[in-house]
Amino acid sequence: MKIVVCIKQVPSSNEVRLDPVTNTILRDGRQSVTNPFDTYAIEQAVQIKEQHGGEVIALSMGIPATEKLLRDAESRGVDRAMLLSDRNFAGADTLATAYTLSLGIKQLGGFDLILCGKMAVDGDTAQIGPELAENLGIPHITDICEFISITPKDIVCKKITDKGYQVLRVKLPALLTVVKNINMPRLPSIPGVLFGLSAPLEIKNAVDINADSKLIGLSGSPTQVVKTYMPERQSKANSIEGDIASQAARISQLIKEFI
Amino acid sequence: MKNSLIRPMSNEFFEYLRDESRTIGNAESISFPKSEADVIDILRDIYPKGIPITIQGGRTGLAAGAVPNGGHIMNLSRMNSITAMRCDEKGDFFIALQPGVALSQLRKQIESRKFDTSQWSEESKEAFLEFCKAPEHFFSPDPTETSATIGGMVSCNASGARSYYYGPTRKHITALRIVLCDGQTLAIRRGELFADGRILNLSTEQGASIKVELPTYKMPKTKNASGYYIEDNMDAIDLFIGSDGTLGIITEIEVKLLPLPQVIWGVSCFFERERDAIEFVVAVRKQLKCVAVIEFFDGDALTILRCQKAQNKAFSQLPAVEERMNAAIYIEIHCEDEKTAVETIMKIGSIMKESGGCEENTWVARNDSDRNQLLFFRHAIPESVNMLIDQRKKLDPIITKLGTDMSVPDKHLRYIMNMYHSTLQEMGLQSAIWGHIGDNHLHVNILPRSKEDYNLGKKLYEQWAIEVTKLGGAVSAEHGTGKLKANFLTVMYGQNHIDEMASLKAAFDPKTLLGAGNMFILRKEGECK
Repeated sequence: MKIVVCIKQVPSSNEVRLDPVTNTILRDGRQSVTNPFDTYAIEQAVQIKEQHGGEVIALSMGIPATEKLLRDAESRGVDRAMLLSDRNFAGADTLATAYTLSLGIKQLGGFDLILCGKMAVDGDTAQIGPELAENLGIPHITDICEFISITPKDIVCKKITDKGYQVLRVKLPALLTVVKNINMPRLPSIPGVLFGLSAPLEIKNAVDINADSKLIGLSGSPTQVVKTYMPERQSKANSIEGDIASQAARISQLIKEFI
Repeated sequence: MKNSLIRPMSNEFFEYLRDESRTIGNAESISFPKSEADVIDILRDIYPKGIPITIQGGRTGLAAGAVPNGGHIMNLSRMNSITAMRCDEKGDFFIALQPGVALSQLRKQIESRKFDTSQWSEESKEAFLEFCKAPEHFFSPDPTETSATIGGMVSCNASGARSYYYGPTRKHITALRIVLCDGQTLAIRRGELFADGRILNLSTEQGASIKVELPTYKMPKTKNASGYYIEDNMDAIDLFIGSDGTLGIITEIEVKLLPLPQVIWGVSCFFERERDAIEFVVAVRKQLKCVAVIEFFDGDALTILRCQKAQNKAFSQLPAVEERMNAAIYIEIHCEDEKTAVETIMKIGSIMKESGGCEENTWVARNDSDRNQLLFFRHAIPESVNMLIDQRKKLDPIITKLGTDMSVPDKHLRYIMNMYHSTLQEMGLQSAIWGHIGDNHLHVNILPRSKEDYNLGKKLYEQWAIEVTKLGGAVSAEHGTGKLKANFLTVMYGQNHIDEMASLKAAFDPKTLLGAGNMFILRKEGECK
C-alpha cells in the first residue's frame, strides 16, 4: 500500500512569535515542530506499512527549514519525502495550499491512501484534508479515532462525532484525517535518526509541479487577512483581608460581579 | 505570642509538619518571613527562649531536613523575590534572589527573560538589558522536584541528573547572605574569604569575629552531600552550602548562569542484561565528552512502570518498553552543533554493540516534545514507587520506602551493583533501583511489603552504609543528611569527627537549636551527637 502523509510545520506551542509590524506568525524555522496531529498520522501510516507492506511518503508545503521536519518523519519510519517550497507559495490559504499539495501528490505517481492530522494547531481550520480530497476527486473521512480493518480495496474505521462515533467503510484510494491519541507516536531509534539524515527527499518549486500561478500563494487565496492583533490582557491581584467568613463573603460578591 | 510574625500551630498548618520524605514531625509555632528583617526579628524573639527552629523551603527534601523536631517552623517560601542581576567582565550573568524562589519559577523567568525589575538597582537593570541581548542561559542544577526552592537546594547541596557534567548546586553559588542565631549577618562572596588550613575566621557585618576550627576529616572523593563540606584552605561559602540549616538562615543567594547549549538531545538505551548496561556506562564515561547526564533504571523499575502504564490512566501515555528489556540507560548530549550530536549518537550505537546491546533498542529525543516524553518516563518511576508504597502503607502505617542516596568511586560501580542485588535477593526484599549511575550514585529503593520487610530493609540499609564507607563512598550524595541519614553520618565519619562537627556547629549555634535533629542525632535536649 502506498501511503502519503501530509505534514505541516507549526510554531512550538510555547514559542509563538508574531511579527511586530504585520502581526503575522513568524515562521523562521526556529523552535518549529511538526503539527502534533500530524505526528499521529505519521505513526498510523508507518503502522499500516508494517502490517500490510508498502511505502510511506511524507509531503509538506513550507519554507526550506521544513526539510528538517520531513527528515524527522523519515527517522520515524517514513520511507521518503517531498517538500514543496517556493516563495510564490507564501501567503497561501487552505484553498491554495490544498491545490498545491494535490499537485505534489500527482508528482508521486499514484497512491492508495492519504493520511492527514485532524487539523493544524496554528490555523485550527481542519480544511486541508477535505479540500485536498476534493481536488484529487477521492472520498474522505475526517476525525478517525480507530482503524478497524484494512484491505487493499477498502478501510473500515471509526469516526468521532459530536454525539458518539460512526463506523464507516471507505473505498481506496481515499483521504482520512486522524485525531489525537489514535496511537502513540514512536520515538526514533539511533539507526532511524541516521536514516533520516540521508533518506530520499525531493524539493520541488511551483514550476516543477506545473502550478497555475493564479491558484497558488497569496494570489490563489480568497481568504484575505484584514487585521491580526494581540489581544490586550490585563491581570491584577486584590488582597482580601479579614476573618474567614468575611473573606468568603467578599469572594462570593466578586464572583457575582463578574458573572 | 507577642511577635505578629509568629503564629501558633493549628490544623491549617498541618502540611508544614512534613516533607517529601513522608516523615511527619511536630511543632508549636510557625512563621512565614518575607524579608531578612523579618528573619532577624523572629530569631531575636525565639532563639533566646531556647526554642528549636526548623527552616523550610519547598519541603521537597527526601532526608526530612525540613521536618520539625518540635519548636518553631520558619518557612521561607514567601521570601521569593529575584532581587538583582549582574554581568561580570567575562560576560557571565549572575542572579541574586531570596531563598524561597522555586526552581521552576527561576527556570521560567530565565527562559522567558521576564523579571520584575521595578525594585532593582540601575546596575541590575543595565545587566538585565545585556541579558536580554545575550544568547540563552540556564541554571544547571536539576533536582527532580522543580518546586524545590533555591534555598533548600543550597541547604542540601542538591544536584540531579545534569550534575554529572555541570556539578552540584555548590558549583553555581557565588554569594550568600546568612542570618546567624543572634540576628547578626554574614555576607560571603565566593573567592573572597578562605580558611587558613582548617581555621576559618569570619566577621559579621556588625563587626563580631567568629573563629571556627574546622573538623579534621577528609571528604570522600565521590559525589557527596554528607555532613559539612570541609577541606584545607576552603572557601568560606562552601561551609554553608550543604549545611542542612544547622548553622544559620540563608536570606539571599547569588547563582551563576551558564550559556544554554545549542543542541540538547536525549537518548534512552535499553538492554536485555543489566551487566551489559553497566559495561556500557563504564565505556561511555571513558569515551564520550559531551554527555551531561547518565541515568539508570533497573529491570524492577521498568516492571513497576509497565504495571502503572497498564493500570493507571495517568501513565497510559508512557512510551512502552519491551518485556525483554531489563535495564535502561538515559543519556543527555549537550553540545554546540548537530554534527557533534550525530557523531555522539553514532558512537553511542557502537558502544552499545560492543557492550552486548543493540543500537535499535534506543529512543532518541531531539525536540522538546520527545524529550518531555523521556523526562515523563524518568519521573514516572519514583512516582509509581511512591504510589505503590502509599497503597502498602494503608495496610500497615509503619511501611515506608527506604531509599538510598549513596555514591562510590568509579572503580567500584560493578561491585556495588552486584552487592545491592545479591543482598536484596538474600533477604527476599522487593526493590527498584534507579539514579545517577554516571556518578555511581544509585537510589536503591527497598519496597517493604510488611513490617518484617521494613525492619529487614533498615538493617540492610545500615549494612550498605558500612560497605559504601569502606569503599570510600558517601552515605548521602545529593539529598543531604537531614534527619533520616544522621546515623549513617556517624558510620561514615566516626564519632570523633561528629564531635568536631558538633563543635563547629556550636560556634554558630551555641544552644543547638537551628535545624534541630539535622546531621546530628539528638540524644537529649541541647546536646547533639
